[in-house]
Amino acid sequence: MAALVQIENVRKKFYAQVVLDNLSLEIREGEVFGYIGPNGAGKTTTLKILAGLITKFEGTVRVAGNDVVKDRSKAHAVIGFMPQSCGFQSWRTVQSALDSLAELSGVPEALRKQRIPALLERFKLLDARFKKVKELSGGMTQKLGLIQALLHEPKLLVLDEPLEGLDPPSRNLLKEIIRERQHAGTTVLFSSHILSDVDDVADRIGILNRGTIATSGSIRELVTDFGLPLEVEVDFATTPADPGFLAELGTATERRPGEWRIRLADGTASDPVIHTAIERTLAGGGKIRKIGLVKPDLDDLFAQYIERGHVN
Amino acid sequence: MLRDELIGFAKSKVMIVLWVVLPLIAMAGYLLLPKEITEARGLGGLSATAFVGFLMSSVAGTVAALMVAVDLVSERNRKVYELFVIRPMRREVIIWSKFLAVFACVTVACLVSLGLGIAVDAFRGNAPRGDEYYDIGKSLLSLIGVVALSCSVGVVFGVMSRTILVAVILILYVGQNLTIVPMLPVYLGWLPDHFWLVMLITATMTGLLVLAASVMFRRAEL
Repeated sequence: MAALVQIENVRKKFYAQVVLDNLSLEIREGEVFGYIGPNGAGKTTTLKILAGLITKFEGTVRVAGNDVVKDRSKAHAVIGFMPQSCGFQSWRTVQSALDSLAELSGVPEALRKQRIPALLERFKLLDARFKKVKELSGGMTQKLGLIQALLHEPKLLVLDEPLEGLDPPSRNLLKEIIRERQHAGTTVLFSSHILSDVDDVADRIGILNRGTIATSGSIRELVTDFGLPLEVEVDFATTPADPGFLAELGTATERRPGEWRIRLADGTASDPVIHTAIERTLAGGGKIRKIGLVKPDLDDLFAQYIERGHVN
Repeated sequence: MLRDELIGFAKSKVMIVLWVVLPLIAMAGYLLLPKEITEARGLGGLSATAFVGFLMSSVAGTVAALMVAVDLVSERNRKVYELFVIRPMRREVIIWSKFLAVFACVTVACLVSLGLGIAVDAFRGNAPRGDEYYDIGKSLLSLIGVVALSCSVGVVFGVMSRTILVAVILILYVGQNLTIVPMLPVYLGWLPDHFWLVMLITATMTGLLVLAASVMFRRAEL
């Protein structure tokens, strides 16, 4: 797949502070890219450069082959951007705010009349369409921010912390929409702190640290490359008399009463550990509700990055 | 964009005050003036038209500058412009629309007030005569010039300032003085005292200031 977004050697300083330091990144057409990193790593700055809100930086950023500074209009015609916090003119109603933004994006009136109610309906905001924007709650405003980014069905959807402030059904809906858009050929770049959600929808992730990409790839690739330790999860229905044997199998931690995690030492196979755990539990008069190997996820990967000092 | 801005300002409470409440208060104030002041017409008496003219010339410019500057700062701080500038449009359009919308709305307020003044004078049997209409027209044009220049000053300070307080202070202390600049060459004897020349300087200054604000806004990081 060709690269839709090309970020090359981007360096951005705010006064003396370097926020992006020779950042280079490519996002392929049609993929969902999760952009993660600790606070202050430069995620929002990157997205703002893409969206044209920040125009003074070193390096080049291209969207669909168009330079975001020199060919601003062409680049922005294909982008739908949702900033971290969305502001609307307070005198507007929901309907009129969306209508004017869609018009500025070049959506014809006939299409606006179809798309706006359809998206409002989907986000359960149709009843609020004639409400003033200033009367909406934070979550509703967040949804409105999402809708405005989707109105012109952009080729590239850039979302800055889109899941923040959304209730679980809305988060699921957003993830569903991201998948739908991906099937329709849209490329999605989004930043998030909710790693489980990134894990759910992202094809690839990029971990940003101190203004540069610490690593990028598919989550599975990264987990393998990083050599994350395997863990066995044991959930006791009845805890054995002496659960101390778990410590002999690896580094055992009781996460909740009766629920243990055993981190296996490098090179240790998981099956013998599971067998031993079952045998010793039964021998100690205990009963097991659930036992199995836990596959490392993005949370584990990110935690390990921090633990090993790759990200701070 | 301009249509939207016009609708926005027209719907705002400030415009209701400017279009309705202020003219009514002005008229009430005029009607409360002592008769020695209002009825000595032709001998220095004050007509309702003149009274409203004085009143508007003292407040319209400041109101226009404050309106546009406060609106720009507050919308920028609420990140309203982020959703505009990410779209394939020129950033300058936002500034020119804002300027034209406030200018148009405040001009309408001046026209309404002056029209009401003329109506009150006519009702009291003191309708302006032909030559007086010419003077009223010139005063109105001067007033519109001041409003335009004030709006452009408001736009510049609105783009420059990060907080409403700074914008207001700049307008009150610097902006008001800037509106007399077009008349300085005449006062200093550099140029002949000609009404249309002052208007031309006013229009040029206005255009240059809005242009400067547009360039600043185009380069601004939002």
